[in-house]
Amino acid sequence: MRAVIDTGDPGLEEWKRLFGQLWRIRAFEGQVQTLAAAGEVPGFAHLSTGQEAVAVGVCAHLGREDALFTSHRGHGHVLAKGSDARAMLAEIIGRSTGLCQGHGGSMHLVDAPNGVLGATGVVGGNLPLAAGAAWAAQARGKAAISVVFFGDGATGAGIFHETVNLSVLWQLPVLFVCENNGYAEFTSREEHSTVGSVRAFADPYGMAAATVDGNDLPAVFEAAREATARVRSGAGPYLLECMTHRMAGHYVGDAQHYRSREELAAVTAKCPIERMKRRLLGLAVAREELDAIGEAAIREMAQAVADARAGAPADPRMALCHVYGAPALQANPGAGE
Amino acid sequence: MSQTYIELLRRALDEELSLDPAVHLLGEDVAAGGAFGVTKGLAQKHGARRVRNTPISEAAIAGLATGAALCGLRPVLEIMFIDFATLALDCLVNQSAKYRYMSGGQLAVPMVVRTQAGAAGGAAAQHSQSLESWFIHVPGLVVVAPSSPVEAYGLLKRSIRLGDPVLFIEHKRLYALREELPANLPLPDIGRARVARAGCDVTVITYSAMVGSALEAADIVAGQGLSAEVIDLRTLTPLDMQTVAASVMKTHRVVIAHEAVRNGGVGAEIAARLAGELFDELDAPITRVGCRFAPIPFAPELERAVLPGTADIVRAVQAACA
Amino acid sequence: MTRIAVQVPKIGLVMENARVVRWLKAAGERVARGEPLVELETEKSLVEVESTDSGRLAEILLPAQQTARVGDRLAWLDSDASEPPVPAARPSGQTLAPQPQAAAPLRETSSGVSAPERRPGRIKSSPAARRLARQHRMDLATITGTGPGGRIQLRDVSQAAQAREERPSLIAGRRPLSAMRRAMARVMTLSNATVPQFVLERTVDWTAVRAVRARGLADPAPSAPRLSLNDFLLHACGRALAACPALNATFSGDPDSGDAALLHAPGTHIGLAVAVDDGVRVPVFHDLETLSLTELARRRAETVARAASGRLKAEELQGATFSISNLGAAGPDRFIALLEPPQSAILAVGRQSERVLALDGALHVRPMSTLTLTVDHRVADGRVAAQFLARLVTLLESETWPTGSEVAT
Repeated sequence: MRAVIDTGDPGLEEWKRLFGQLWRIRAFEGQVQTLAAAGEVPGFAHLSTGQEAVAVGVCAHLGREDALFTSHRGHGHVLAKGSDARAMLAEIIGRSTGLCQGHGGSMHLVDAPNGVLGATGVVGGNLPLAAGAAWAAQARGKAAISVVFFGDGATGAGIFHETVNLSVLWQLPVLFVCENNGYAEFTSREEHSTVGSVRAFADPYGMAAATVDGNDLPAVFEAAREATARVRSGAGPYLLECMTHRMAGHYVGDAQHYRSREELAAVTAKCPIERMKRRLLGLAVAREELDAIGEAAIREMAQAVADARAGAPADPRMALCHVYGAPALQANPGAGE
Repeated sequence: MSQTYIELLRRALDEELSLDPAVHLLGEDVAAGGAFGVTKGLAQKHGARRVRNTPISEAAIAGLATGAALCGLRPVLEIMFIDFATLALDCLVNQSAKYRYMSGGQLAVPMVVRTQAGAAGGAAAQHSQSLESWFIHVPGLVVVAPSSPVEAYGLLKRSIRLGDPVLFIEHKRLYALREELPANLPLPDIGRARVARAGCDVTVITYSAMVGSALEAADIVAGQGLSAEVIDLRTLTPLDMQTVAASVMKTHRVVIAHEAVRNGGVGAEIAARLAGELFDELDAPITRVGCRFAPIPFAPELERAVLPGTADIVRAVQAACA
Repeated sequence: MTRIAVQVPKIGLVMENARVVRWLKAAGERVARGEPLVELETEKSLVEVESTDSGRLAEILLPAQQTARVGDRLAWLDSDASEPPVPAARPSGQTLAPQPQAAAPLRETSSGVSAPERRPGRIKSSPAARRLARQHRMDLATITGTGPGGRIQLRDVSQAAQAREERPSLIAGRRPLSAMRRAMARVMTLSNATVPQFVLERTVDWTAVRAVRARGLADPAPSAPRLSLNDFLLHACGRALAACPALNATFSGDPDSGDAALLHAPGTHIGLAVAVDDGVRVPVFHDLETLSLTELARRRAETVARAASGRLKAEELQGATFSISNLGAAGPDRFIALLEPPQSAILAVGRQSERVLALDGALHVRPMSTLTLTVDHRVADGRVAAQFLARLVTLLESETWPTGSEVAT
């Protein structure tokens, strides 16, 4: 634990809580996988299994007023930011009790009171939104910052470069967190870019940046502490590249023929939960206590699924609601049908 | 004192900037006045932080405005030509239009994208298009196309205050048009069309710069004993089919005119709705006037050959009243 | 040499299918253009299909007894011609040189959708016409369409319905309204339906006017126009109206709403009904209060002449708040005119005739007329109208009309 027993060390109890957060995400995604396999999730479900440490390490430094934007692989971030697992699961299975009343789904979780301002199904589309939220905070004199999670695949989109340029130019309080899992959907990083490190994209724009082992919770926690503090101080945007690994496929049902058995085995060996468990054992935390933390998370998510299922199905009468806000527009027969 | 379309747009922006601190302008060159001078002087008056220049990054600035709108600003974004809105389409179509809906009503995007469209002599194929029908295809977007300086003033103020994402399509041919802003003018409602001229023999449904052509055509056919009612739609989403229907139930004959090509255009949508909902009211086939199906050419002779105008509306009205 | 397809031709209006009875040429045989190639049986008859080109029958695609639809390929023919007959498909790889072509019209007359043949017996009619015919229980087959391609339109149905209701023996003929009569019909219908009108009368003694006219006739100044009764009426009405601003206004808006208002006219602007062929025109004389009687007479004469030939300018038909209708010496003793919205009043001038007048205890015979004023009750009430009429009569009967020489100035 030397690396983190430092100025920002939150203390053992907090580490155990964060360890529990890793487990909550793992258990949550496990439930989603089961639900998807059972046909209870309409459409696609993209799991963040294996990338939990990034979500937990970064979100540990965010308050409710900070804006969070995530990607199609975003369940972990939303959960780590503190949103209610039951409302998230209800949304993912399309219930009226879901966060977005069934209008959004797995790829578009929004929990505005908690600062979760959305997830996008278009890779890279969330980047300028986060910059915009940062601009609003800057313009309105608020202390809040904006954080956006994206995969290394998003750096292939021009919008990434446009947004970084603009954010540095306007010194916006935005933290770019790249979860570099080495795959853009089904294609490995070597096949889609000659730039090996995402961090390198920060240099020409003069943006502060760091690369960290994204499967090492204390390492992510420390790097994110420094990054968020810097962004909060008004020093402009920051790029935090977290090297991590997708333990699951691109989506539930992806057979991952493009990854070798050896590669998948190596990824499993780097499991962030196992690594954190070993470190906590090294700090003389009892194995039984750690096992109990994991079991509690699994029980919590099983119950959350039961609660989500108990919610009323999405109401077809709501299908035309929320297209427009102005009542005149909703009522106008020309706007709807 | 009469003012131009540009001056009245500027006046609307100036007034809204003064009224609401959440209003911010952004876009390429807007601090210097923008490509057409609409925002001239506003940065000096309201500060460079509220009237901000951006890089030539349409995709990013559309996203920036959308994200800011989610967090309490009311950004007014200038996209210099509607032809360049193609670069911002992902954001406008996938994000701005859908945010309120996808979030189940938790969030809103009170944003106006000001842009300008249409041909005005030699701007050629990538600076002259009328692409409004792409946007009426997207639920969640409001599409406004004002036809005169006074209309532009009122509709822009309403758009900024609306609370939903608005694509505000100006027409470059109208920019120099002058009109006096009447005192105590009530602001037009978004989603309410306007009867620009009353008549009883045929309804000409149109918007933007073609309203002027339709009024000229109505004058010409009046001399031939035909009384044309001209409807200025003002907003293309929502479409005010009530005003249109009231007119068609009176005239039973319909001409729809727009500068955009007919294929898949606003006119096609209106014609389909009228054929479906007012079939028994129609006494003649619905006639559409639109641009020929070609990119807008450069040479003036070629441009004239494809663009619709007053004479085309006159002929369409005559055909509809045959 | 070009390979072309022999296709099942369309024979007759309703043919869709055909059966190959027998081939008259074998594959590989030469055929001349116009030579029978194959015998087909359609729903109606047996037909021989002739070769459209000279050449060699390369391959038979559809043997005898097979059925095919119109347009299906029957065989390949290797034509002697070096170019394919139009419109055959272009060989691939050939450059498509752009050809100037008549571009499609800007409005939608030909959209590229070719209309299929009409079913015989189908009557072309507009949806609105069909609905009206249903309402009148009329058979479309009994109605003649006057629209494009003989389409029955609303006007055809309504005319037919009207014709049916009118007893044919009493109708000598029917004539569609001219644009002017239609406009009049509209305005008068609007007047009667929407304007509450009341009427009041006074008689006027023309003795003073007669004296002035007689002076003018006896001693005409050079180029002085001949004064008509209408000139005196216009002049006097102008002065009376100027003195009665309450009547010199138009009503605007909906009486039920807050925007209802009286719009007062700047100056006096009075229309004069002029009978023309097939109707009436009402040219407006603007700013009458600024005109002398002579100027007025000159302008009146010139305007009435142009009205008769239909050459009035648009502004000469607008802006009046008041009109005068004088049916002249051959007219009725008195009559009531309908005012023309948005004007607020109209003066109907009856025939001038000698009447016995009791005056100062004695009987006199005087040239007199009945003046009948129709007033928009929303603009003015009886008291205002009576004051106006009294003032008008006073002016017309005044002994102080300008003298003959003054008239000329």
